[in-house]
Amino acid sequence: MDVMEKLTILADAAKYDVACTSSGNNRGPQEGMLGHAVSCGICHSFTADGRCVSLLKLLQSNMCIYDCQYCHNRRSNDVQRATFTPHEVAELTMRFYQRNYIEGLFLSSAVVKNADYTMEMIIETLRLVREEYRFGGYIHVKAIPGADKALIHRAGLLADRISVNIELPSQASLAKLAPEKTKETILTPMKYLKDGIIQSKNELTLYRHAPKFAPAGQSTQMIVGASPESDSKIVTLAEGLYNKYKLKRVFYSAYIPVNPNMPMASPPLTREHRLYQADWLLRVYGFSAGELFSDADENLSLDVDPKCHWALKNPQFFPVEIMTADFKTLLRVPGIGRISAEKIVAARRVGKLDFNDLKKMRVVLKRAKYFLTCSGKVFEKYHQSTIAARLKDGTDFQQLNLLEQPPGIGMETQTASMFVGDKATFSSHDTASSTGLILPVSHQKGAAI
Amino acid sequence: MTALVFDGSFDGFLSVVHACYYEKLDPISIQPAEILTLMDEARYIETHQANAAQVYAAIKNKISPEVAYTVYVASLSPEEDRYTALLAYIRLGFKVGHMVGSHLQVEYVRRVRDLHRQAAGEAHLLFGFSRFVETASGVFYCQITPRNNVLPLVADHFTRRFMNQQWIIHDKAHNQAAVYDGKSYVIAQNPGDADVTLAAHEEETQDLWVAFWDALSIESRKNWKLQRQLLPIYFRKNMTEFTRQRPIKKPPGDIGRFIEG
Ligand code: SF4
Repeated sequence: MDVMEKLTILADAAKYDVACTSSGNNRGPQEGMLGHAVSCGICHSFTADGRCVSLLKLLQSNMCIYDCQYCHNRRSNDVQRATFTPHEVAELTMRFYQRNYIEGLFLSSAVVKNADYTMEMIIETLRLVREEYRFGGYIHVKAIPGADKALIHRAGLLADRISVNIELPSQASLAKLAPEKTKETILTPMKYLKDGIIQSKNELTLYRHAPKFAPAGQSTQMIVGASPESDSKIVTLAEGLYNKYKLKRVFYSAYIPVNPNMPMASPPLTREHRLYQADWLLRVYGFSAGELFSDADENLSLDVDPKCHWALKNPQFFPVEIMTADFKTLLRVPGIGRISAEKIVAARRVGKLDFNDLKKMRVVLKRAKYFLTCSGKVFEKYHQSTIAARLKDGTDFQQLNLLEQPPGIGMETQTASMFVGDKATFSSHDTASSTGLILPVSHQKGAAI
Repeated sequence: MTALVFDGSFDGFLSVVHACYYEKLDPISIQPAEILTLMDEARYIETHQANAAQVYAAIKNKISPEVAYTVYVASLSPEEDRYTALLAYIRLGFKVGHMVGSHLQVEYVRRVRDLHRQAAGEAHLLFGFSRFVETASGVFYCQITPRNNVLPLVADHFTRRFMNQQWIIHDKAHNQAAVYDGKSYVIAQNPGDADVTLAAHEEETQDLWVAFWDALSIESRKNWKLQRQLLPIYFRKNMTEFTRQRPIKKPPGDIGRFIEG
């Protein structure tokens, strides 16, 4: 089989993995090495479905000995199989990088023979790329659950980011759908990676030339909708992973039916979108999982984004005064993102702001106006009870309600998110939009490990 | 109230700022000389390195190094009002100091912010969207056609990225080229046409890349509008994945390879 054929099979098998960010690490150019990494990440192309192409995302092999129910590459499926030699992956990486097609390599694999064998094959590829081809660009590698500690350590020293997929939100689901994987085989390497990353940071503060271990941190991915867990359970799990294992990112991928004996339908795409929004609130906006749910709401609302939802449930928090509220409080206002909050804090230091100024500064008021005052003035008087309806988004809502709404309001809604004002933060890659938000469909087809 | 013209270089603009301060000019427009029409009654300001350096140092020290860089990047924009906005911005900067960028209530401050974002934004896109081909001589060649005059920013980026590789970035829109010899680059004006005889495995590599790129699209999720928003059409004529012929012909546009609007 020639490289072209392998590439087609193994790129196709890897493409549903959502973790396509190339950010999180700034590595300057080094003498004798080709390439460097920039922490903001760079998109090199966009596919027809609007996803960022940044990394050469490949499986080393799709010859899997496991039989995960949700996966296209499971051993019981009749699909074309292929395995790259380490040399082939290294050659592709270098040639693509030299032409600026890519920002780096994202290497994963199905489990060939056993976990250690697979991990060794991956390590040999990374070693070749780094030490013989002298590649200095970005590398994200997957750790194979169950692989030996020493092997995972070695991979971490060669890569910028390393990740183990949590796969499913509960042990019961894992037992049912991925019987060969266990909580322990997944969490043990995750813990090990956490310790390695912390230790390496400590060493680096002591000796500048200590070897760097996964300097861009670790991330994970979980499949949503293949098993019955509620959003509350999923977001709480994510919070636990952020706190306990110091993950940089949790990626969610909406389940897609590729195999028989599985639920026949994918979850609504909006659900995945909402999970990313909730995740963003945890990581960037200082919310806790507990604030986003109550006993009555086990799941995130599909009608309004989680920040709006929270705001509507907590009217005692509002209105927020634009001239005096601190940065964190501003961030809790629906429709105000980081960039808007930064602009407000900067501009109010040098002068008074009214709603008109905010508009000119391109702070999007569509949602925010219901929750703000400028020097004590409100935008317009609203009945508390009508705000919820005005804030709904989603195209369905727009179509259904256009005729029942006062003019203008139905039109205002769109499939937007709470990040509308913050396109800029979004297009800068370590966020969901370049990958998860717009992606869905059958990610798990080649979820690999 | 006069119209001023100058040679269009950044030093030239700084010389204009110098003249405005020392001769107390309040120009109604500031333009590169080539834009001057016969109707305009304009005064030409000579470029003086020393004056330019003095102004740049003053901006750096009395306002801030970040503001100085913002002014430089914003000046790379092609918008006609850029120099008048920048002059006003610098004047305000000398009054209020490094917080000048925060005065978002002021129109020209917002304007400079926008110009800066436009230029810096296009440069950032080009860090990703530029494509190199390997030539038979071992030099990697890249052609770009940016709207903003961002070649220096792009060349700086690739100096870090491809430190030990020789390359040429040819800005066909502004008829100039950055030539890097493995140590540093120079920018040549009116460089003429480059010899781009391809290296032996170049075509094969391009085929591999387009095969990879084609395999990535999830058919059922096509979203041209989003793709166009994120990767504007005008970049595509310089990008291998959009220009390269596929071995098996697909109907045009079928896999999102539009080049024409
Ligand atoms: S998810 Fe990974 S381990 Fe499971 S069947 Fe697919 S490739 Fe194999």
